[in-house]
Amino acid sequence: MSLKSIAPGIVLALLAVAAPAMASDYQLLFLLQLLMMIALAQSWNLISGMTGYVSLGHTAFFGVGAYAGALLLQWGFPWWLAIFKGAGIALLVAAPLGVLTLRLRGPYFAIAMLGLNEIGRLVATLWVDLTQGGDGIPLSPARLPTLLQNYYTMLTLAVLATSLIAWVRYNRLGLELRAIREDEEAAEMVGVNTTRNKVIAFALSAVIPGAAGAVYAFYTSYIDPVSVFAPALNIQMIVMVLLGGSGTVWGPVIGAVLVRTLHELTWAQFPALHLALLGVLIVAIVLFLPKGILSLAPWRRRVRPDRAPGSP
Amino acid sequence: MTEPLLTINKLDAAYGPVQVLFGVDMEVYRGEIVAIIGPNGAGKSTVIKAVVGLLKSRSGQIVFDGRDIIRLPAHAVPRLGIGYVPQGRIVFSHMTVTDNLEMGAFLIKDREQRRRSVDAVFAQFPRLHERRQQAAGSLSGGEQQMLAIGRAMMLDPQLIILDEPSLGLSPKYVEQIFEQLEELKAQGRTLLMVEQNAARALTLSDRGYVLELGRNRFHDTGRALLADKAVRELYLGGR
Repeated sequence: MSLKSIAPGIVLALLAVAAPAMASDYQLLFLLQLLMMIALAQSWNLISGMTGYVSLGHTAFFGVGAYAGALLLQWGFPWWLAIFKGAGIALLVAAPLGVLTLRLRGPYFAIAMLGLNEIGRLVATLWVDLTQGGDGIPLSPARLPTLLQNYYTMLTLAVLATSLIAWVRYNRLGLELRAIREDEEAAEMVGVNTTRNKVIAFALSAVIPGAAGAVYAFYTSYIDPVSVFAPALNIQMIVMVLLGGSGTVWGPVIGAVLVRTLHELTWAQFPALHLALLGVLIVAIVLFLPKGILSLAPWRRRVRPDRAPGSP
Repeated sequence: MTEPLLTINKLDAAYGPVQVLFGVDMEVYRGEIVAIIGPNGAGKSTVIKAVVGLLKSRSGQIVFDGRDIIRLPAHAVPRLGIGYVPQGRIVFSHMTVTDNLEMGAFLIKDREQRRRSVDAVFAQFPRLHERRQQAAGSLSGGEQQMLAIGRAMMLDPQLIILDEPSLGLSPKYVEQIFEQLEELKAQGRTLLMVEQNAARALTLSDRGYVLELGRNRFHDTGRALLADKAVRELYLGGR
């Protein structure tokens, strides 16, 4: 990877670091949500964009992280440790699950993940002693990190998620995942350990949603089962990735910026219509831009004769 | 006589509850071309899938180069020196021809060595060189088959296994593929193939195995099988 290719990322990150000095609290909250969606979309991109295994339940990890973060904070852990543990617990859920579900191909995996999210939601609803069920968990303001702390934590997660995608993509693992997406059997035949690679990608893709869930719990200071185990959130991740360009480094960032901006501009005026807009957007992408906005860029060619697999 | 490169010993194999192979025995010596022929459903491709690890449910012995490989998963097989050309020309259709070949040598970390392998394949298949920047999915069926063979040769394997290399190709390309196989034979490579074009396959082969309903039926030199009255009547549609 050359300096030139990461320069836009560095500029963006610096702008995001400087933003709190200029932004109002409302604008900062908007940016915080945008950064959260970038982090989530990139995580979805890692498993679904890169391997072609579409996850309809990545919010399961977000929800697990949110509940872990909220409960640990209540039990007296400092907020930053609660975030780490939220990510760790999401990883602990994902790794064995990946071993089981990634044997399922195509729609079966997607449905299994949808089921996982539902299980998470039901556990959070029914295990009242731990989660206070459908009432949700309000967090006491005294223990919560400030908006600024939440903002910088989320920025870190978005940068980490994007760097992870860049690192994987220009590495051997990325090539192996690409081969899996192209044709899993052929990948196996040339010596790619498909099961191991899928599980690694899946486990990595669960960590950041876990952490992001915890931060979400802190900045909203209240969570309930429906708001964190939310299929609509998963749909947003998918739209952002597809809109920008699946499997790419910058596609999900572009997609997240566009969708969140569109949402911001429309939700107040058209509270019902903005969801319909999202639907129209999905249909339009599938019909007219199946490879995402990045595929329109003139400097991008589909073939890369200059680059041999496995080379950095 | 020297040790065979590949020995299949009392191989049983099943798809789920359905047993397909019953104690199949086979040997392939270095430098030899061996054909497996037989009617549909005889288990020809199943033998190959069992050898390359694509079929989990199998028992018996598969000894390659002195080592029993029957428990190995499919992704560990290329490393041993077995190149596999699957049925149905499975290529990475959105990758270029060059990238497809590079994927074939994906286990080699040294870039220069990979490039040399690619050049060697291009030398053997000039047509692939002409199409090197094209997406593999845009090639004709015959060219995709060449690409699949080329990819299997990238690690310079000791044994190349081909599953129905001429299946579904136009007569012109069937001709070309067999010419390529002749060429591999002339280079002294070791080939094990399943082929529905039994007469062509036996003509090319040193030895042949005839399977029927998952069991060994006949086994002889290619020439002898071609001449055998029973084999001709049953499997070659002959007079």
